[in-house]
Amino acid sequence: MIGQGNPHTGKTLLFVPGNSFIHRINPLTKLVGLLWLAATTFMLPPMGMAVVFIAAFAFGVIAGAGAVFVRRLVLTVTPFAIALFVIHGLLIKRPDMIDYGLISLSPGGLTYMAHILVRVAALLTASMLFVTTTHPAILLKSLDSHGISPGIAYLISSPLLLIEPFSARARAIRDAQQARGLDLNGSWKARIKAFPALLIPLVTLALSDLDQRASVLDGRAFRARPFRVVLDAPVDQPYERWLRRLLLLALPVQIGLLLWL
Amino acid sequence: MALIAIENLVFAYGPKMPVILDGLSLSIEAGERVAILGGNGSGKTTLAHWIAGWLPRAAMNATSGAVLANGKAWPAWTALERAEAVQFVGQIPMQQLSGFAFTVYDELVFGPGNLGLEPDEIRKRADWALDICNLRHLVDRDPFTLSGGEQQRLSIAAALVMHPKALVLDEPTGNFDPESRDNLLDQINRLPSDLTIILCDMALKPALAIAKRFVLLDGGRIVADGGAQEILSHPRTSAIFGMPAVMEAALLLQQAGHWPAGEDLPLTFGRAQEQFGRITHVAG
Repeated sequence: MIGQGNPHTGKTLLFVPGNSFIHRINPLTKLVGLLWLAATTFMLPPMGMAVVFIAAFAFGVIAGAGAVFVRRLVLTVTPFAIALFVIHGLLIKRPDMIDYGLISLSPGGLTYMAHILVRVAALLTASMLFVTTTHPAILLKSLDSHGISPGIAYLISSPLLLIEPFSARARAIRDAQQARGLDLNGSWKARIKAFPALLIPLVTLALSDLDQRASVLDGRAFRARPFRVVLDAPVDQPYERWLRRLLLLALPVQIGLLLWL
Repeated sequence: MALIAIENLVFAYGPKMPVILDGLSLSIEAGERVAILGGNGSGKTTLAHWIAGWLPRAAMNATSGAVLANGKAWPAWTALERAEAVQFVGQIPMQQLSGFAFTVYDELVFGPGNLGLEPDEIRKRADWALDICNLRHLVDRDPFTLSGGEQQRLSIAAALVMHPKALVLDEPTGNFDPESRDNLLDQINRLPSDLTIILCDMALKPALAIAKRFVLLDGGRIVADGGAQEILSHPRTSAIFGMPAVMEAALLLQQAGHWPAGEDLPLTFGRAQEQFGRITHVAG
């Protein structure tokens, strides 16, 4: 029932509802494309990676996820860039160090830093393009309808679905323990001491939930048959199937070339 | 042949753990509506797990005895057969969700999809369950964002779409306010009459609303098994459950010898009003 444009996406998901052509591509095609791109970025020169980054970003904007892209890129790439700058620009001593008063910078180190950054940004934007245009429910249906084991599909869906109830339980345990006098606002020593009192009930309850959920799944015949019947599976065009085969064939060839050359 | 036959079941969760079910024997026929009543620690949930086939599993085996469904012990059933035979709905609604569905509708079709049914049949069953459990307005919601009551209705609907022969409900209205509880009980009462319902509860109201047969558990043993009158007049009943005031008054009158012989104890307020009116009229 959930469509690509359904607004009830849950606050833990990065999915941005929409009906762009990227939203409409079969999730399995996008997943294979992402895998291929991840392998390819390690073969491309920096300029090629920059093209991948710009293209993925542009597609993200077309898909209506521009704001999410910018926010995530800033949040993820900025601290990474600072760390790389300090390590490759300042700390690692290279022959080309240039003194600027109090600090010495290495142009070679900075170029190396820029290469790594562009590669990370390209991989990140490509991944963002996948998660912002693919609702996990549609991905699950796609995996199911292609005969991929329900166990694998469950590994994808359950963390996304259970993160919110898990966080709510963690908050409830924290509140309950604080009400019983656990000091969570004191020194760092007091907080470290209090940590097991939060962690142990959380883990114990999570294990009990797991046991219960295993019985629930068993009761509803999960994995009783090798394949599930899926309603409203996403459309899979013939050209997409050929494209996936091509990309999957290209993957080992590219990895082989990368190792050989 | 009984749908569920429990034969002298003795069970503890481990070798050095206390015995939870102590030589319990019970037979439930197809289409029966049975309430298994008992206080905290009486063994209701454990018995419900045995009836639903959640037990035995791994190292959790019966010390003696067994549970037979249609004459066959649970370990001899395949997961597919068991899912179509009996469904269980537990006390904590969130724990009943599959963790596989991003919408209420997907949660509903999860089980029938696993059974390998035709898409049209899956849709038909889901539509039926949505109406019975009053969930149609929630179809696109994330199951984990529903209220406890809504999640419980969804759990019952997800069990019903499997079209089981028996539905085991373990304190299904435990977290409900009285109005929501009455609504759910009304919905349960509208379920097909050939569906066997086994309700485990420590409250009399849901049991009296649904069941025709009542089994009273105490310390892992059955201390009473019969109709409403038999259970209500059992000495342990008022101690375990307390009683509605009208019923308590009727019991006191009965014990004092002022209740007419052959007159049933009142199960509803309306019936109590009528009976008390008659008794006071006779006394006057």
